[in-house]
Amino acid sequence: MKNFASALWVETLKMRRSKVPLFTAIGFSMAPLAGGLFMVILKNPEAARAMGLISTKAQLLVGVADWNAYFNFLAQAVAAGGMVLFSIITTWVFGREFSDRTVKELLALPTSREIIVAAKFIVLSVWSILISALIFAVGIAVGTLVVLPGWSGELLGVSFVNIMGIVLLTLPLMSFVALLASMGRGYLPPFGWIILILFLANLSVILGWGDWFPWAIPGLFGGVAGPRAELLGLHSYIIIFAASIIGFAATYYWWRNADQAR
Amino acid sequence: MTYAIETNNLSKFYGDVRALHNVNLRVKRGEIYGFLGLNGAGKTTAIRALLGMIRPSEGNVKVLNQVIGPHGSGPWAQVGHLVESPAAYPDLSLRENLEISRRLHGIKNPKVVDDVMDKLSIASYADRKAGTLSSGNFQRLGLARALLHKPEVLILDEPTNALDPAGIVEIRELLISLARENGTTIFMSSHILSEVDLLADRIGIIHKGELIEELDAARLEELRARQLVICTRDLEKANKALSDFEVISLDGRIAIKDSRAVEAPETIATILVNAGIPPTHLAIEQENLEEHFLRLTK
Repeated sequence: MKNFASALWVETLKMRRSKVPLFTAIGFSMAPLAGGLFMVILKNPEAARAMGLISTKAQLLVGVADWNAYFNFLAQAVAAGGMVLFSIITTWVFGREFSDRTVKELLALPTSREIIVAAKFIVLSVWSILISALIFAVGIAVGTLVVLPGWSGELLGVSFVNIMGIVLLTLPLMSFVALLASMGRGYLPPFGWIILILFLANLSVILGWGDWFPWAIPGLFGGVAGPRAELLGLHSYIIIFAASIIGFAATYYWWRNADQAR
Repeated sequence: MTYAIETNNLSKFYGDVRALHNVNLRVKRGEIYGFLGLNGAGKTTAIRALLGMIRPSEGNVKVLNQVIGPHGSGPWAQVGHLVESPAAYPDLSLRENLEISRRLHGIKNPKVVDDVMDKLSIASYADRKAGTLSSGNFQRLGLARALLHKPEVLILDEPTNALDPAGIVEIRELLISLARENGTTIFMSSHILSEVDLLADRIGIIHKGELIEELDAARLEELRARQLVICTRDLEKANKALSDFEVISLDGRIAIKDSRAVEAPETIATILVNAGIPPTHLAIEQENLEEHFLRLTK
């Protein structure tokens, strides 16, 4: 346990000293700001007409300007953006050890490789959850500034659970990103993976098989294609759980057994 | 006898490429073992195998009498290492990089970081980001990390790389004092023969993945010894004239290792002149490690 606390301290220090948390937080903050802009446009039809394409896009995404529509927009942004953003964080946490060639300093230590990998997953998860919570908080502030109608405590609670549910379903899938960053020894393979997975997730939803495809499930949970209860079943949660276990097991196996010859 | 480092028929294959083949190393406790080889000879592969970073295709590795692996397990609390060029987190300070090592080694006393920085003369750079350090100080950081936990065994890959001449002497003296005063076992690879020659108690020469020779202390002493090499027009007569000395016949020359001859070659010249066979060549030579190594690896 003592070694585990040390490994957590180490991973947290690396995160604190990096600029990646700042950049990812700024990047993700664009979602509530963009949502706020759409709401402003929707509340003022004259300005919406004057803005042309942006106005049309805003109507397509959210429809009416109220808290419910705004939280739905945020959920969709977290579902799509979270997959990308959390992948960037995971890629950095694992991939940097290879691009900085520091992985060899983590292998022959009294702190086991398993503990180091676990600490990495925990730190990147906490980091991702905190950024998501920040986005939710920024969203509330932006919505309040825009003076949206339809606020209620119940809506706030439901929306928070919805967004955090998306986050918690997305995070375990990052094990595959960690595996690819490790196997590929750097940043490029996981970025290729993200593009592929986003394409396949969209395709699976279009074809109506999204509830069977792990990487489409967080988006469906967030309501990107309709009410969650109609789109997801127990099998969807089992699949995402099983896929995550495979991803974690493969990552641990790789760190324990792969030759570190570079 | 238990060894600090022991490999038994250690082999490593990458597909059809044979990186190591039946390497049997025996490094005694407290010994400085020089591991010599050309680039690509298998030095770093062997070092990675010693540290559990790669799995042997055949054979096994023992460090401090513990079999390394599977899954990279080993007596790592007692082993310090530097593999190839050192690496560090560039956005962390030198102190923070060492602090990471301290924590991962489970060392409670935070003072060890200051101590090792003083020992490696890098304390003045403690708060500099590692990414901004000169290559020499970066190398010192790597060595500091290897020494931080006062290991019983040090496994160092090219430890004096990137150091200036003063730094090389400083690190050499540090390693010698660790071995002689603390009994630390040092296994160091190098392609700088003079460096190994000055440091090592024993030398292993690896070539194309095979340990082709191990030189013990006596043989090393022999290689380090100087000799007086003599040429005359009549070698047989010269041999007789120098019967007071142990004369070694070389190819078309003779040599004497006796210190009376090496320290005072003019005495030998006088003897030969008086015998009517003046020397045509008289020189003090050293069959150095470099010549020996080159001959072996040709």
